[in-house]
Amino acid sequence: MSYVDNAQASYEHAIERVPDGVRVYLPILPVMSLVGVFILYPIAQAIYSSFFDKDLLAPAEAEFVGLANYAEIWTSETIHQVLWNTFVWVAVGSIAAIVLGFLMGWLLYEKLPFTSVASAIVLIPWVLPRVVGASIWQFMFGGSQGIINELLVQLGVIDEYIVMLGSTELSLWPPIVGMIWRLAPLFALLTLTSLQGIDEHLYEAARMDGATPWEQFRYITLPMMRYNLAIGFLLMLIYNIRNFSMVWVMTKGGPGVSSSTLPVMIYRTAFVDFNVGLASALSMLLFVVLLVFSYYYIQVYDKVQGEF
Amino acid sequence: MATDTQDPNQEFRKNPSWLYDTQSGTYVRKSLIGLLTLVVFTYVLFPLYWMVVTAFKTTAEIQQIPPTVFPEDPSLQGFRMVVMSSLQTSGYDAFFEQSFGWEISSAIDIDILTLIVNSLKVTVGAGLIALVLGTGAAYVLSQREFRGKNAIMSLLLASLMFPGTAIMVPEWELISTLGLFNTHLALILIYGAMTSPFVVWLMKGFFDDFPDSIVEASRIDQCTPFETFWYVLVPMARNSLIASFIFAFLLAWNELVFALTLLDNSKFTVPPGLLTFVQGFNTQWNVVAAASIIISLPVLAGLAYIQQYFVQGLTGGAVKG
Repeated sequence: MSYVDNAQASYEHAIERVPDGVRVYLPILPVMSLVGVFILYPIAQAIYSSFFDKDLLAPAEAEFVGLANYAEIWTSETIHQVLWNTFVWVAVGSIAAIVLGFLMGWLLYEKLPFTSVASAIVLIPWVLPRVVGASIWQFMFGGSQGIINELLVQLGVIDEYIVMLGSTELSLWPPIVGMIWRLAPLFALLTLTSLQGIDEHLYEAARMDGATPWEQFRYITLPMMRYNLAIGFLLMLIYNIRNFSMVWVMTKGGPGVSSSTLPVMIYRTAFVDFNVGLASALSMLLFVVLLVFSYYYIQVYDKVQGEF
Repeated sequence: MATDTQDPNQEFRKNPSWLYDTQSGTYVRKSLIGLLTLVVFTYVLFPLYWMVVTAFKTTAEIQQIPPTVFPEDPSLQGFRMVVMSSLQTSGYDAFFEQSFGWEISSAIDIDILTLIVNSLKVTVGAGLIALVLGTGAAYVLSQREFRGKNAIMSLLLASLMFPGTAIMVPEWELISTLGLFNTHLALILIYGAMTSPFVVWLMKGFFDDFPDSIVEASRIDQCTPFETFWYVLVPMARNSLIASFIFAFLLAWNELVFALTLLDNSKFTVPPGLLTFVQGFNTQWNVVAAASIIISLPVLAGLAYIQQYFVQGLTGGAVKG
């Protein structure tokens, strides 16, 4: 018996007996099983449930209905309105957050002192508990004492206070404003980090060649940042489309479904109307969209990192 | 890249531009940038200012129309009501009355103390699970080549995108089937599953950059791979490990969807608890704001520590400065 054997605990002998090809998977197994049970299995379960007429309170009495839930999505006016809301939300929210975030990141990098302190302060909206951020905006948009109503009256946009959160025409917009407020800082930090990663010498060389600041931005900054911007863009889309808290806290998706997006509709269908089958079918819609987004996310990721 | 009034490299330019190379253009440019800075940062910072100011107003001042931008009569009424009502609901009011002679009575009920304890239980549990499981997996994924590695990494990356709203309904069914409904264990396991891919990606980034020579040195000293991991790498990875833990902590502290659907009122964590409170007492915004500030403090403390890891953590290490 050599001293190496003495130095090893008994469980290590047991591990030694596992063939090497299998042994590497052992440390990965716990993570994968946790993710598998609590994230991947529910997705499969949603596919299955979407073919049933199922009540949340009596899941045992589920009845197979084929594609009826999907047919309801196809025909229901209410759901069409929700899908349109979701589209508006994702398009407006993402584009505004990206433009604003890029400006903020650029200002932080180029124009403002104390970059690290300033970026920490700017990040507060993103790390603040979701419910806290949303309730601040709910208060600010309030119909009776809201500061935003007061501001609009002072600016002469409106004559008297209006209840924006309770109006069918306007109620979609306050949560979008809140969401842009939350997401823009995140994009700002991404922008700041990518700007800091660009080599100063490139700009020096470009200036020697007579490039104007705009040309430097167009032909150095943007191309150098393209993958980071792509990742930021996809993150904005993903965070926007799966957002629940901002809408739910501010308007509960109402009045009617005027401010409901897809996640809020899923929640309402499952936990207010108890219709699990339809909610699962709606989840599948959201899931497919997220799958497309994450496919591109991984593609971009591969380009940045090469092989894992 | 300093932007002086006189660009030092002006003489190299073939096409002088009005915006950059004339006096008036420079003024226009500078005032535009100043205005832009003002607008953008007001948008970001004003809601935060508003929350703080509201917390220090009295209930009477909150109901004034138009609202006051600076509190006329700063008071701690909001904070006092939050603390008192927590003490009362947790049953400490008798204790305070007997030992200090303080009368505690409150018209509202928010038991922020219990909410915070519940949240701490869940967040620390989830953070530890994610850390312990994630670090080991990250080490192997970083150091070894094997079949299916790319698939596993992609799967972990993709699983970061789905949690929350896309799977809340089947998750409810799963938790009910497992008999874990209305337990904190359910949330610990789900948050653990949601955050461990994060930890894997963050720690893999650390292990990838780790100098090989140190690993080799420990191998020459007869360390098994496990001993190398435990006695050499983990102590040196301390900062990354703390950052990972804080990421997991933040996610679990802020998560609303699962906490709302999988728990009853009695077991609520901070986000659904605050939500119920906001909806019940939305005339007393100073109390709401005070409660919001109290529950945001741990998050702000965490932010100060992990700021430098933030981008890496959010993008799984894809974006590095």
